[in-house]
Amino acid sequence: MKAQLFLFKNILPVLFLWLILLSPFPVLAADQENCSLCHKYPGLGRIDKNNKKRLFYVNEDSYTHSVHGRLNCRDCHTNVDKFPHDDIEKVDCATQCHLTEPSGDKKFSHASIIEKFNKSVHGLCDKPTHIKYPGDLPTCTYCHENRILHPISVLGKDTPGIAREVINRCLGCHEDEQWARTYYSHLTHRMMPRRSSKTMVTLCTSCHENKDRMERHGLEVTGTYRDTLHWQAVKYGKINAPNCIDCHAPVGYFSHEIMPKDDPDASIHKTKILSTCSNQSGLQQCHPGATAAFAKGPIHPSGVKAHLFDAKLDTFDIKEQIKRGELKPFKSLIAERAQKEMTTVEYYKYIVLLIIKYLYRILIGALISFMIFHQFLDYLATKRELKRRKH
Amino acid sequence: MSSNPISEEKKYIRMTGHERLQHHLTWTTFVVLAFTGFMVEFPEEWLVVLGNSKEPIFFWRGLIHRIAAVIMIANLFYQCWYITCTRDGRKYFLAMLPRLQDITDFYKNMLYYLRISSNKPKFDCFNYKEKMEYWTAWIGNIIITGTGFILWIEHLFPKFFFDVSILVHTMEAILASCAIMVWHFYEVHLKPGKFPMSGIFLDGLIPEHELEEEHPLQYERIKNAEATANIPEA
Repeated sequence: MKAQLFLFKNILPVLFLWLILLSPFPVLAADQENCSLCHKYPGLGRIDKNNKKRLFYVNEDSYTHSVHGRLNCRDCHTNVDKFPHDDIEKVDCATQCHLTEPSGDKKFSHASIIEKFNKSVHGLCDKPTHIKYPGDLPTCTYCHENRILHPISVLGKDTPGIAREVINRCLGCHEDEQWARTYYSHLTHRMMPRRSSKTMVTLCTSCHENKDRMERHGLEVTGTYRDTLHWQAVKYGKINAPNCIDCHAPVGYFSHEIMPKDDPDASIHKTKILSTCSNQSGLQQCHPGATAAFAKGPIHPSGVKAHLFDAKLDTFDIKEQIKRGELKPFKSLIAERAQKEMTTVEYYKYIVLLIIKYLYRILIGALISFMIFHQFLDYLATKRELKRRKH
Repeated sequence: MSSNPISEEKKYIRMTGHERLQHHLTWTTFVVLAFTGFMVEFPEEWLVVLGNSKEPIFFWRGLIHRIAAVIMIANLFYQCWYITCTRDGRKYFLAMLPRLQDITDFYKNMLYYLRISSNKPKFDCFNYKEKMEYWTAWIGNIIITGTGFILWIEHLFPKFFFDVSILVHTMEAILASCAIMVWHFYEVHLKPGKFPMSGIFLDGLIPEHELEEEHPLQYERIKNAEATANIPEA
């Protein structure tokens, strides 16, 4: 009895404490500074100065298997040097980390890709609107979401693993299993599209379907993509169904270097668009027999532009309209583009389409209403006649 | 069933074998085409379910749509052959041609519907409703076949042709489906006395009372012909 009491009072609490302190999670392989001592707890978080809820939990298992799993926390979170850590700077992906890039002997950094990216249409180049609204531009982490750090998004999802038989082949030569797993993922990641077509469209349209944001850069929203058969194929889960990237950064181009359409390096530049539509070097040949005339037409039909083009024809004074508050200042940017880019032929083509659409709508509405009316009268007449015949 | 007086009633041929086969081909391909076609217009929530099935549904959809389209077009040529090269077909086609009588029939029928006149107009073999359906089906078929072919070989045409075609193809499909639902389904399925369906499209025979009621001019002609044929015997 006494021994039991002793067990309850002394040994069990100690055991309990031990269990809490030495968590069942494996210690981070690269965590030489023992950050996981605190960050392994799922509830770790606080409300920051801007009243934003911040979560500082790091799922160790996910982290060690991620592409950054071999890095120390402070390789990226550079200015963490006191407790509690405050005023931490945002991670800069161009920071040199303590890994050596294996093909040369330099310290590894994403700086070169960021440099390329900044020259692209999404980069912080010298476009006046880009400088005015830098917050609209995607940063590294906008697309490369570090999903592993958000515990909620991991819930209910089976993490794709590497089959035992596969990893065993690596382990024949390479002793460290974690190293083998990391490099295996590193290579296979680059051999197939990382995102499904649907996720890709969701990612791009998260900005490109935002009307206000697009207008202030002089762009139209890409809503019309969702009217195309391309999008229908994506919705049906067709493998290799064409998403944004398949045309804007096809094989031979690079998603970090998407260029505006009038840049000769762009895959959709008028000199390159034909080979983009036919996609001869891709996983599948999309429109192998595409003719130049087919590839020339507008892929994202230009509704907004046509309206502004139309307005322009009636001596359109943009500044006056803005002054009178009839037009948002952003709209003037699209109007400018409409004047520059839209040809009269393109405009009339759009009008023809519009007329066909409304003619059909009127025809369907009128004809079907007439039919319903006619058949309803017929129903009443037939009922009357059946009743009369019964008597 | 022999106790049923209707089953003993005399029946007349309304649809010949060719016509019935053409009708069967038309309605089966129409259902398949409409379904596989409108599959690209389904609400997104449904598609999420279909898209998760891991089956190449989108591929099958396109293939089946094209196969059914080819059968439907072949059926059009079958109809062309029938109305030119067979005696029944020529008779059928001539009876289908619109006449001035159709307009007066329509006017009289509306008066009858609205209880202004108590006399039902006397229809011939095909009334204005049937003629309207037949000819709109021809026009619709030609439009939808033409635009469908452009969509099939889209890469050979300027993009503008594609834009027009996909718009017309979709709109024409909506128009045709709505028209079939309201016009044809009511006439042969839902109309009081016809429910669940008129059996003419199965055996091609129309009961005497129905012929007398719906196509009195044709009925009179048949009766006269029968009478003249019977006179020498009598």
